[in-house]
Amino acid sequence: MDLTIPHLHLLLNHVPTVGMVASVGLLLLALVRRNDHLLHASLELLFVVALATLPVYLTGVAAEGAIEGMEGVAAPAIEAHETAALLGFVWMQITGFFAWLALWQSRRLARLPRVSVGAVLGLSAITMALMGRAATIGGEIRHPEILANPEAVTVGAPAGWLQSGVIADFVTQYPWVWPAAEALHFLGLCLVLGVLLAVNLRILGAMKALSFASLHRLLPWGMLGFALNLITGMLFFIAAATQYTENIAFLWKVIFLGLAGAHFLYLTVFSRTWALNVGTEAAPLDKLVAAGGIGAWVGVIYWGRMLPFIGNAF
Amino acid sequence: MAMLAWLESSGLSTWVREGETIWAFPTILTLHTFGMGLLVGCSVVISLRLLGIGRGMALAPLRSLFRVMWGGFWLNLITGSLLFAADATRRGTDPLFMTKLVFVAIGVSTVLLIQRSVFEAPEGATAPSSGRGLAILSLTAWTAAVTAGRLLAYVS
Repeated sequence: MDLTIPHLHLLLNHVPTVGMVASVGLLLLALVRRNDHLLHASLELLFVVALATLPVYLTGVAAEGAIEGMEGVAAPAIEAHETAALLGFVWMQITGFFAWLALWQSRRLARLPRVSVGAVLGLSAITMALMGRAATIGGEIRHPEILANPEAVTVGAPAGWLQSGVIADFVTQYPWVWPAAEALHFLGLCLVLGVLLAVNLRILGAMKALSFASLHRLLPWGMLGFALNLITGMLFFIAAATQYTENIAFLWKVIFLGLAGAHFLYLTVFSRTWALNVGTEAAPLDKLVAAGGIGAWVGVIYWGRMLPFIGNAF
Repeated sequence: MAMLAWLESSGLSTWVREGETIWAFPTILTLHTFGMGLLVGCSVVISLRLLGIGRGMALAPLRSLFRVMWGGFWLNLITGSLLFAADATRRGTDPLFMTKLVFVAIGVSTVLLIQRSVFEAPEGATAPSSGRGLAILSLTAWTAAVTAGRLLAYVS
C-alpha cells in the first residue's frame, strides 16, 4: 500500500482536534482533582499536540495541490479550510509554547504558577474552538452530506492578513523579505544549536562541574531560536509551498524536527536529567538520549541545508 | 585579479564549483553551516552567561565549549576557503563578502579575547565589566557576520 500525502493528511488531521479535546479534558480534570501529576501530563500532551500539528498543516497544503480540480471537491471549501487551519495552527503553536513555558517554570519554581496554567487554559479553549472550526470546514471539502444545505459550502472566511495568499504575496512582493527571513533563520539555528549543545554535552559528561539545573536556565533561549525558525520557516513554506511539498529533503527535515521537538520536551521535564548535580555522571541511557538529541538537530540542519541539492528548493 | 582568476581555475576550485556530486559544493556548504552553528552557537551561550543569564552556572566549566568553538572555526576556515576558491573572482571583489570577513574577524577576536581575559585569567583578575562589553561586541559581530553571509546568496 502506498501512503499518499492526502491520505497522510486525513490520518494526521485528527490529532489537533482529538488531541485538544483530550488535553483540555485532562487539564480540567487535573484542576478539579488538584492533581499536580495530571496537570503536568496535560501540559506535556498540549506541547506534543502542538508539535504534531506542524505535519498536519504541511500535509494539508500538499493535499490541496493533489485534490484541487478533482470532481466532487468543493474548491471554495478548500480555501476556507486553509485559512481556518492556518489560524488554528498559529493559536495551537502559541498554546504549545505557553504549555512548555509553564512546564519550564514549574521546574525552576518547584510548582506550576497559577497565572501560566490559567493562560494555557484560556489559550487552549480558543485553539480547540478554532481547530474544531477548521476541521468542520475541512469536512465540507469532500462531504456535502454533512451540510444542511449542500449548496451552502463555507466560502470566504473573514478577510485579514493571516491568510496564506496574503502572506505569500508579502514574502514574494518585496525582494528583502526572503533574504531577511533567511538571515533570521540562520541566527535562530545558531541560538537553538548552541543552547542544546551545551545542555546535551553536560549530560554526555563534559562540563560535569555544572548542575543540569543551572543549564536548564538556558532552555528558553533555545526555545526562542526554535520559535524564530518556526515563524521564518513557515514564511518560506507558505510563499513557495510546492518546492517543499514535493521535496524528499523537506520530509526528512520535518521528521527530524519532530524528534528534536520531542527531545526538547524531554530536556525540560525529565526528572533523571534534572537530578544531575555538580559532578554527577549521567546514566548510559540518558547519555544515549542526549546523543540522539544532538543527532536530531544534525538531521534537521543537514536536510535543511540539502533542500536545494537533494530536493528542488532554492 | 590574475591571482583570483588562477585560483578559480584550479582543479580543486573547478571540482568544488562544477563537480556533479553531492560531495562537492553541497557537502562543503553544509559543513560550513555546521561549523557556523558550532562556533556562533557556543559563543552565544557564553556571551549570554557573561551578560548575566544563568548566573547559577559557574563560568569555569564552560571552558569546554571553546574546544567546540575552535573546532567549528577550523572547519569553517577550510570549507570557507574552498567555497571562496570556487568563486574567487566574484567574491574577491565583492564588498558584501569583505564585510562578512571583517565581522567574522571581529567575532573570532572576541572569542579569543573572552577566552584569554575571562577564562584563562588568574583568579579574581577579571573585571566583570570587560566580560559584558566583549559579550555585547561578540553577539553584534556574529549577528552581522551570519546576516552578511546569508545575504551573499541573494544580493551579490
